[in-house]
Amino acid sequence: MSFYLTYFAIGIGLFAFSAVFALVGVYAERKVSAFIQDRLGPTETGKFGMLQTLADGLKLIQKELIVPAAADKLLFIMAPAIIFIAVYMGFAAMPWGPGLVPTSLNLGLFYIFAIISIETLGILMAGWGSNNKYSILGSMRSVAQIISYEIPAGFAIISVVMIAQSLNMQTIATQQGILSTEGVKFFGFWDVSKIGGIFAWNIFRAPHLLIAFVIYFIASLAESNRAPFDIPEAESELVAGFHTEYTGMRFAFVFFSEYSMMFLVSMISVVLFLGAWNTPLPNIGALHLADWTTGNGWGIIWILIKSLALVGIQMWIRWTLPRLRVDQLMSLCWKVLTPLAFACMLISGVWRIFLM
Amino acid sequence: MSLVQILFYIMAFITLASAIFVAASKTLVRSIFMFFITLFALAGLYVLALADFVAITQIVIYVGGILVLILFAFMLSGRETLEALQKQKKQFISVNKTGALFLAAIFFIVLLNMVLKVDADHLPWITNAIQTKNVIAPINVTTDNIGINLMTRYLLPFEAISILLMMALVGAAHLSRKEQTL
Repeated sequence: MSFYLTYFAIGIGLFAFSAVFALVGVYAERKVSAFIQDRLGPTETGKFGMLQTLADGLKLIQKELIVPAAADKLLFIMAPAIIFIAVYMGFAAMPWGPGLVPTSLNLGLFYIFAIISIETLGILMAGWGSNNKYSILGSMRSVAQIISYEIPAGFAIISVVMIAQSLNMQTIATQQGILSTEGVKFFGFWDVSKIGGIFAWNIFRAPHLLIAFVIYFIASLAESNRAPFDIPEAESELVAGFHTEYTGMRFAFVFFSEYSMMFLVSMISVVLFLGAWNTPLPNIGALHLADWTTGNGWGIIWILIKSLALVGIQMWIRWTLPRLRVDQLMSLCWKVLTPLAFACMLISGVWRIFLM
Repeated sequence: MSLVQILFYIMAFITLASAIFVAASKTLVRSIFMFFITLFALAGLYVLALADFVAITQIVIYVGGILVLILFAFMLSGRETLEALQKQKKQFISVNKTGALFLAAIFFIVLLNMVLKVDADHLPWITNAIQTKNVIAPINVTTDNIGINLMTRYLLPFEAISILLMMALVGAAHLSRKEQTL
């Protein structure tokens, strides 16, 4: 029966990870925004204000959970849970190291893509349940945006899958380093199976995957409702969008899921494009850097560093770029990203047949 | 009972209970959201039948697509239409429901007939498949098989469906275009 205990331990561990990440993420976001806007950010609570988010959490736990009188109670209460669970379930198929993966699904990528789309339902539930005009406008905008951006994201993913020939996240990860069994070629001409490192990453296995990576990154910003695509919660127009009416821990859960989503989409792009848990250091002659820095412990370190770097870029973008208008958002998605993603998919097919 | 059987009964119960709620609920939105639970439990049943690809496709298409579409249609329609819908007679059997009742009764008889006549434990094609070892194990990868079959044996239906979807897309684009003022 001990494997059931392992299941529970992994589930609780992932939950604890997403909670801790949300705490650290909010603090980092405040400090990054303060740095970009030439402010100091939180300084009072603890050394450098490091206990600020913990204090915020304590405050949110103590707060009263208000349900508006005109709200649909059941939907209103269930929505934050569904939003969070949808994101949290996505972590089930993410690989952390050569032998570390919660479930090695052979449909892992497809599963994650499906689970993320459930979040839209939770957002609609929150918007409708609140019975508030701002909430429902925010949730409609959010859903329209997420559904539209799923198309370029999906085609960017398909162009990777066509190169990798697998939907299993762990297989895709293994292919991008020295542990690969089928051989890796840098840009299709230089065999780097023994060298590994940064040259074996998917973005360097085929040049068009670099474009696919940028498309996926932009689409993932939209899917996690981050600026410059944060029209669902545009403060200047919609108060706070779909979570206007939420208080206390329910609000905290909406926030948790936003930060978990940021990490999840960053991790997906790391696994698909940036070599997953593989080391960026190549083997150079007698210096077997790649052999030395591959393993379960190293895997966790590399994937954390890469994902956190992408999360950092997401924050940087949020505090630098202005918000897009709804029509600009849609024309970017349908007129620029979707055709480009289609082109990437076509090139992937040609590349797989003639160059691999 | 094995764990798989227990899981099957739990999922089947959730599917049936939520489906009854969908049909019986007075508030339309709640029944739409309950439909989501029905679909999810159905996906679980597919997984138990080793059809994992179908299960996930079910979630992508129904939950991510069709359910959201239904919700959009609901939220964009006017309040009067919805109130008229909700003010329907509460009587279970009435004259203007005869057609529906008749259809439901016929369908029920067909289903009952099926259940009674089929000897589900000894279907010839199943026993045949077991004898020739033509079965799927839980660790088998089914996607490769699906892909190859779609591109060879079922290519014509696949292409026909793509053309149908293409026509629907062109039609939607044409309908939503602004009228040209000439």
